Amino acid sequence: MPERNLTRREVLTAVAAAGVASAWFPRAAVAQGSLANLAPEEPVDKTLQRLFGSRPIRDGASMINLELPLIAEDGGNVAMSVEVKSPMTPQSYVKAIYVLSDKNPRPLNAKFIFTPGSGQAYVATSLRLADTGDVRAVAEMQDGALLMVKRTVRVVVAGCAV
Amino acid sequence: MSALGEVKIRVPASVARGSIARARALVIHPNERVERKDGKSVDRNYRFVNRVVVSYAGRDVAEFDTSTSIGENPSFGFAFRANEAGTLKVTFFDTHGGRFEGAAEVKVG
Repeated sequence: MPERNLTRREVLTAVAAAGVASAWFPRAAVAQGSLANLAPEEPVDKTLQRLFGSRPIRDGASMINLELPLIAEDGGNVAMSVEVKSPMTPQSYVKAIYVLSDKNPRPLNAKFIFTPGSGQAYVATSLRLADTGDVRAVAEMQDGALLMVKRTVRVVVAGCAV
Repeated sequence: MSALGEVKIRVPASVARGSIARARALVIHPNERVERKDGKSVDRNYRFVNRVVVSYAGRDVAEFDTSTSIGENPSFGFAFRANEAGTLKVTFFDTHGGRFEGAAEVKVG
């Protein structure tokens, strides 16, 4: 019979591993707003690198309409809208729009994911901007092509740490 | 004063069949921002909206992954294709397990 008794060390290791597993997973699920679950603090170039690797990003000025105020009185509430002029058919559509703020400690503000049922790759919301700087919109097409535009926004009162 | 989690959706009174309509959804929510102390971010469980799902007539049309960089009481304008009359549903999820849903009927004619 290949049966053998477990040593004390094996039992302790197994118990400790089970304890770690059961204690760790629920905590990770609850504490979703911790810094570890936010995008890392990094310069915008690093965010672009992390999101898109070395894929080429073309100038999207002819396709993307990014609207932002030239001067934002309150950085905590800056109206933004972005629209990509593209058909939204199952064969060709905009998969996602990424909005990044160069001067925010965590530059990725949001990722907006679309489907052909969206009809239009359009989204409007309000951003928090930490400081005067560029805001970028990167559109990802369903074939993986990337297009980008930027606008500079002058922020009068910062949106604080964001 | 509105209560946390209240969702408001604005849709056009009626839209033409097959056309593209725009709507706007808002949730009353603090969407907490990251605190800083001595130049370092304070690590705690911030409460902010991190996911928004838009569905129309039972099908998901868009999804937004959001962060603390969206303003307080997050609002989103978006588009959808109205091939048939149906319910536009917007669900906001936050990092404290909150789930806030709003719905509006869309008339197609």
